[in-house]
Amino acid sequence: MKRYFRELSVLGALFVLLVGLTIFAPAFYQPQPLLSLLTREAPALVVACGMACVIITRQIDISVGSVFSVCSVCAGLLAARGWPLPLVLPAAIAVGALLGSINGLLVAGLGLPSIVVTLATMVALRQGLNLIRQGEFVNLPEAVQWFGLSQTAGQLVLVGAALAVLVALSFALRHLAAGRVIYAVGSDAEASRLAGLRPQLATFLVFVFVGALTGLAAMMNLVQSPQIQPLGGAGLELKVIAAVVVGGVAISGGRGNLWGASAGLLLLACISPALTHLRVEAYWEKAIQGTIIILAVAAEGLRGRRGGTRP
Amino acid sequence: MIAGPANTTRGRRDWKAFLLSHEMLLLYALVGMWLFFYFAGTTTNRRGIVVGFGTLDRQFDILRHSCEIGLLALALTPVILTAGIDLSVGSLLGLCAILFGHLWQVAGLPVPVAVVLTLALGAVAGGLNAALITGLRLPPLIVTLGTYSLFRGLAEAITRGSVTYTDFPAGFLFVGQERWLGLPTQAWILFLVALGVGLLVHRTTYGRSFRAIGFSLEGARYAGIPVARRLALVYILAGLIAAIAAIIYTARLGQAKADAGTGYELFAITAVVLGGTSIFGGKGSVVGTLLGVAAIAVLKSGLACLPVVMRMNAAEEMSGLLTGALLLLALTAGVAPKILSNLRSSSPSSSSTP
Amino acid sequence: MAAPPLLALHRIEKNHGGVRALRGVDFELHAGEVHALLGENGAGKSTLIKVITGAHRPDGGTITFAGQPVADLTPASARALGIACIYQQPALFPDLTVAENIALRLEAPAAARRIDWPARRARASALLARCGARFSPDAEVRALSMPEQQLVEIACALGSGARLVIMDEPTASLTRLEQELLFAVVRDLRLAGVGVVYISHRLEEIFALADRVTVLRDGRTVGTHAIAAIDEPGLIRLMVGREVAQVYPPAESAPGAPVLSLRDVGCTASGVHGVSFTVHSGEIFGLAGLVGAGRTELARVLFGLTPADSGEISLDGQPLALRSPRDAIARGLAYVPEDRRRHGVVLELPIAHNLTMAIHRRLFPGAWLRFGAERALALDYIRDLSVKCAGPEAPGGSLSGGNQQKVALARWLATKPRVLILDEPTQGVDVGAKGEIHRIIRRLAKEGLAVILISSDLPEVIGMSDRIGVMRGGTLHAILPGGSDPHTVMATALGAAA
Repeated sequence: MKRYFRELSVLGALFVLLVGLTIFAPAFYQPQPLLSLLTREAPALVVACGMACVIITRQIDISVGSVFSVCSVCAGLLAARGWPLPLVLPAAIAVGALLGSINGLLVAGLGLPSIVVTLATMVALRQGLNLIRQGEFVNLPEAVQWFGLSQTAGQLVLVGAALAVLVALSFALRHLAAGRVIYAVGSDAEASRLAGLRPQLATFLVFVFVGALTGLAAMMNLVQSPQIQPLGGAGLELKVIAAVVVGGVAISGGRGNLWGASAGLLLLACISPALTHLRVEAYWEKAIQGTIIILAVAAEGLRGRRGGTRP
Repeated sequence: MIAGPANTTRGRRDWKAFLLSHEMLLLYALVGMWLFFYFAGTTTNRRGIVVGFGTLDRQFDILRHSCEIGLLALALTPVILTAGIDLSVGSLLGLCAILFGHLWQVAGLPVPVAVVLTLALGAVAGGLNAALITGLRLPPLIVTLGTYSLFRGLAEAITRGSVTYTDFPAGFLFVGQERWLGLPTQAWILFLVALGVGLLVHRTTYGRSFRAIGFSLEGARYAGIPVARRLALVYILAGLIAAIAAIIYTARLGQAKADAGTGYELFAITAVVLGGTSIFGGKGSVVGTLLGVAAIAVLKSGLACLPVVMRMNAAEEMSGLLTGALLLLALTAGVAPKILSNLRSSSPSSSSTP
Repeated sequence: MAAPPLLALHRIEKNHGGVRALRGVDFELHAGEVHALLGENGAGKSTLIKVITGAHRPDGGTITFAGQPVADLTPASARALGIACIYQQPALFPDLTVAENIALRLEAPAAARRIDWPARRARASALLARCGARFSPDAEVRALSMPEQQLVEIACALGSGARLVIMDEPTASLTRLEQELLFAVVRDLRLAGVGVVYISHRLEEIFALADRVTVLRDGRTVGTHAIAAIDEPGLIRLMVGREVAQVYPPAESAPGAPVLSLRDVGCTASGVHGVSFTVHSGEIFGLAGLVGAGRTELARVLFGLTPADSGEISLDGQPLALRSPRDAIARGLAYVPEDRRRHGVVLELPIAHNLTMAIHRRLFPGAWLRFGAERALALDYIRDLSVKCAGPEAPGGSLSGGNQQKVALARWLATKPRVLILDEPTQGVDVGAKGEIHRIIRRLAKEGLAVILISSDLPEVIGMSDRIGVMRGGTLHAILPGGSDPHTVMATALGAAA
């Protein structure tokens, strides 16, 4: 019980928020808007799972937003050219993995700090994309929408897919040796090396992995809208990192799990519609988001966790 | 003011090291880049007037546009010297711009009072970072990621997402849009702040403390350096300088919007790292930072003058792309010596004391 | 024992940057034997251990394991042979559970394998039970105390089926009860045919547990005896030797007025308690003791790094309440720390910057740097202490150990302290520089400084000090006069009958 204190408190906060909404804004609980909310957040949830892995290994990746945009555009262009979805999906994942491997090589191979590396790739990718696309949208064929199913069916598929990723990854992190390596490397990279675990390879693969998941998320986003805009991924990294940190994944590495991260994401995602229903203006959203991050990290710091080290 | 030991003796060996130092190499690259853009980006138009990169107007424009990023880079230099980081300076610029606009337009305060209050608020915001980082011992990365969001969010909330403050008096706009003694006004402010930060870092005991903390936090504590106080200083100072940048930004554009300064932190960090300051702390110089800012500004402006780029209308994107690439190159160059020496010596037995 | 020894080391040599740590050490261990290794700090025990575990490659001599000569021992090959070492500082993953730590240590790395948590937990429980550990395998290592973490290490060693287990000061921070449990584990190992190398300076433990004991001194084996064939005084005699290797500069004047007084000083966090003594101006007060005695901890209390929470400290009769090193420096205390490279000198900074790091307020009034004054000061100290360097702008890392120590010392001398605490000032320093540093210390005392000299080099602390405080278990046990018989000092440090 004590071990999962952070995750439980996030769930508690989410619970309080939901209960508050039942009382003050019951309109929030219409099935269709709720499903739409979950569907909208499904891509972010998938990325959050990947980001949690990155942060557990004591790294960070703020380029996911740009990677998302690039994968979206690539997938969109392929779909617009008539490629069938079962081919577009692996292509999107591959692009994401490739971009992630750039980050991985620089961080794991050269030992550069991940914050600065991913800051650079974030901007380079975004600007490169703008250069090539000039802000042009990609129009998607109708057949792509919702996998060609009805909207509700498509939404259920997406939410189901996100949940499947969550469950599978949670299982892997807990029950597969490869998953445990992530915790070991994040806890003490040197001890990992001495134990024969190869922390550099693990770090590299984690970046590739989060890139691949971002590609998957891009696909999940693709089937939700009639067109892809190149700026689509903006702000994704902050949202996902906030969700993960709020959800109990320690920035100092080695601890945390995906359930907490998901609860954190839901908590942050519910703020916006909650604000709407509570008649609070939407422009408070970012400020509240930032405050939640700070409170979450401060709470972690006050509990005496290891912290205060280099970026 | 070059990073490293105080320039005391000048043997031949020292001259060579000086000429090959990071800052000098950057200077050569900067000069080379400038010359390239001069020859490739300057033409004579039909009326026989020289246009493009090689005009004085363009050079002043470069200067004018680089002041805000230059200020942010100066703000970040002491922070990064202590092996810390501050991702919130761009957002703080936006928040301070909004606060200034609000104080002047809504609260009706005279411009000088509004300026002073804004500077104070910038310092207080920096103080929030300082309190969380030194008081609660939280990692600077995630704290400033949080305030990055918070400050921008407050700016958006205050302006309700849409309000823009305009109609500033001409006397105020002079700071951002006119020239004083031949140079754009804000350039003088930049020089002044550069002088101040330069003296702080290179000529005072505070600067020494920053480097000591960056190289060895525990070692600095053992030597009696008040580590918490020094760290608080760098973050508060960063907030103050971000506020100055906000004032200049508002004066230059003639308006204050909530999205002011978006993305500036990347350019600021790039300038600092490009200029030879190590992201791991301890090593770096203010001159290097200024050269880094100049390099980024020249790159951006020069690209916009190249005919091929003008045809593509892609100056913004190209400069962003190249800046990102430059940052990675600079980082790699920074760790290259360590990696090369690691590859050369791979003996298993370490030599520690028995 | 007719079988060949499990481990045989013959004439092992090891040099460390100019210092001969091991000079022809012979050591033998049989399976099912508990062999104690005894020697004062710096005698070469740690280096010998590193040679056995493959962390260091010997410069000379041979290693034979289970009858087979071993040419190039590495940590990995040593582990494969079944050599395990339990260090004082456990190398565990703080955020993971005990069960997982044990599993990661014992299981071969494989990526796609499904984790069997119940099996891991059961195995960990079994191993922990054998060690007498009373915490759950699901406990987070971070939450365990140091002795509990050590038990986890022992559990790992047991689990790995080690044939040779080295225990480096295992009882240093254990309670009586935990010690008994540890002894039971050691006896179990012996019964199972495991060879145990047991390093400790607690003679009562050695006599209770060991079958044989080897004494190291100055990098050589000075004697190997069956435990029944030797007694405490005999062991002490072997450890200490008869000759005094060096001549130390003598005191030239009598000590003056009392400067620093401690009365019943303690700091719960660091284990120091009930320390009382007085240091006079012009006196060198030595602090002798073995590892874990609490001498560095006491220095940290005096310097304000870990402030005292009981007792009184007074300087010149005025009470002293120090909360930070800055306070201490302001009141005239100076501390040259033990870890030179991490705390004494900032390697990346020039010598001049290191020298002036503690005197910013005095040398640079108004926070403005004065390079000329700094350079002059640096040159002064470089000349005064004979620091061999390329100049005041050379980085600290370019100096040899001895010269780094001089720079560290000079930094604190520049603060013109009343009280100077030196923690292992000649550790890792070559013989020539050692002598210079000794002369400097004596000169400082003559100039009126009160010097506290912490040293594990017995001849040094005896030869240099006017009085010797002997610490053990976090408190000061006795104050002996300078030039005391090393035998007496060692016996007091060990808590043995002299």
